Amino acid sequence: MQRRDFFKKAIAVAGTAAVGTNTVEAAQTQHPVDNQKVSDVAFPQKRPLITYSDRPPLLETPREVFTSALTPNDLFFVRWHMPMIPTYINPNKFYIHINGLVKNEIKISLNELKTNFEQVELTAVLQCGGNNRTAFKPTAGGIQWGVGAMGCAKWKGVKLKDVLKKAVLKKEAAWLGFNGEDKAVYQKTANFVRELDLKELTDDIILAYEMNGEDLPYLNGYPLRLIIPGFYSDSWIKMISNITVTKEKQKLHFMDHAYRIPDNTCECETPENLVQNTKPIEEMNVNALIGYPTTGAKVKNNAELIVRGVAFDGGHGIKKVELSTDGGATWTEAKLDDGTQGKYAYRSFSYAFTPKQSGKLTILSKATNEKGEIQPFSKEIQWNHGGYKYNGIDEVTVEVLT
Amino acid sequence: MINIVKKLIVASILFGTTLFAGSNSGITIPYVDFPMKEGKGMYSTKGKCNMCHSFGYVINQGLQSKKFWRDKVIKMIKVFKAPIQTDEDIETVTNYLFENYGNGKLE
Repeated sequence: MQRRDFFKKAIAVAGTAAVGTNTVEAAQTQHPVDNQKVSDVAFPQKRPLITYSDRPPLLETPREVFTSALTPNDLFFVRWHMPMIPTYINPNKFYIHINGLVKNEIKISLNELKTNFEQVELTAVLQCGGNNRTAFKPTAGGIQWGVGAMGCAKWKGVKLKDVLKKAVLKKEAAWLGFNGEDKAVYQKTANFVRELDLKELTDDIILAYEMNGEDLPYLNGYPLRLIIPGFYSDSWIKMISNITVTKEKQKLHFMDHAYRIPDNTCECETPENLVQNTKPIEEMNVNALIGYPTTGAKVKNNAELIVRGVAFDGGHGIKKVELSTDGGATWTEAKLDDGTQGKYAYRSFSYAFTPKQSGKLTILSKATNEKGEIQPFSKEIQWNHGGYKYNGIDEVTVEVLT
Repeated sequence: MINIVKKLIVASILFGTTLFAGSNSGITIPYVDFPMKEGKGMYSTKGKCNMCHSFGYVINQGLQSKKFWRDKVIKMIKVFKAPIQTDEDIETVTNYLFENYGNGKLE
């Protein structure tokens, strides 16, 4: 920004404040906050990450991590809702309880899960529904994430279906309530319980104890967490220790109010006119992120630049990722990895080209899935009060040196 | 303060090593300081909000309108049972947040 522009802006802002106006900002969407600083403090089992809170821990993965198809455990983002997290769990004494509308109320030990059930492995993207929330203006409720409230890992565990089979669901069973070991400070505060409609139970939903070949990190839910591939991570309960089967959906803040979007075709609303009918966020929409270069990087003119990133969706699969260096006027297809990690995983992409002009250069990436859904430009995305499901075309701006 | 943070970093590094060796002795979550701006109502806000969550949770919201902060305070009471009981307390916390983390707009 030019100095003079800055002052003009500052005066305009000061002016508004002085008048004490109550004009509501028009809802709009922009590129999310980028290049947040990584903290000096490393959390246990993690490398230093962008740190918004220590209690409960809120850690974001920096953009440059998103060049490979798997996100390392120690760089994987962290989000807890409740501040009291067990800091020690004895794996030999850990059980998951299944109760409610079941014929056999049971508790299954971690060891039993590892030995008495079919072991399955699945690679899936874990993304917060509010990832990129800083894109929404005015501020949408929730943690103000930049681009890194997501990651992709290979999960190992057992099918939820098999575990439920052991407990034998009663005929009238219709809902599954999941609860983890994290707690609020006050007993009166409700736990972070999430529910799944039994109709949505698939073979791909697993109880995982391993992440990228290691025990889950504590901060990612050691020793057991729920994996719901293709869905935003609001129901991927960490340190899961209880499943309650019910006939009716329970009344829960985190189900009835949080993680919901307007139930209309644009999934949008305005701050003045909030939509009354809402639906859960559920399936992730198509998205891609450039991991290298990052904004502010300096590259050489006439030297090959290899752009790398990741693309994913809710499980239809990525068809193509295209890049543009002319503001979106023309697009060229990037090279995708072989896709052997499956339809719920990141597809890493790369795109090599040689800048031919010095100065600022903006690189855009745009993914299309097998269903034909294409990422919109960020300004085309309409506002919703929770700031969910942002999937605008990504962009980074580098400086090309002569 | 810096010393404590340094100690914590050292502790977590040491700790990471033991975990890597395969012994699970749990974790210690480091304390990260999110300083609050000095101002009227700071201690009251600190007592009522920081009991359950770090002040980082608040700062993360950015500079916001008075209505935004008031709605947050009310949500904390209604949904999470925050120990903010009287209208006076609601005003104190809202005013502290708006005066120190406000965007100048009432709504």
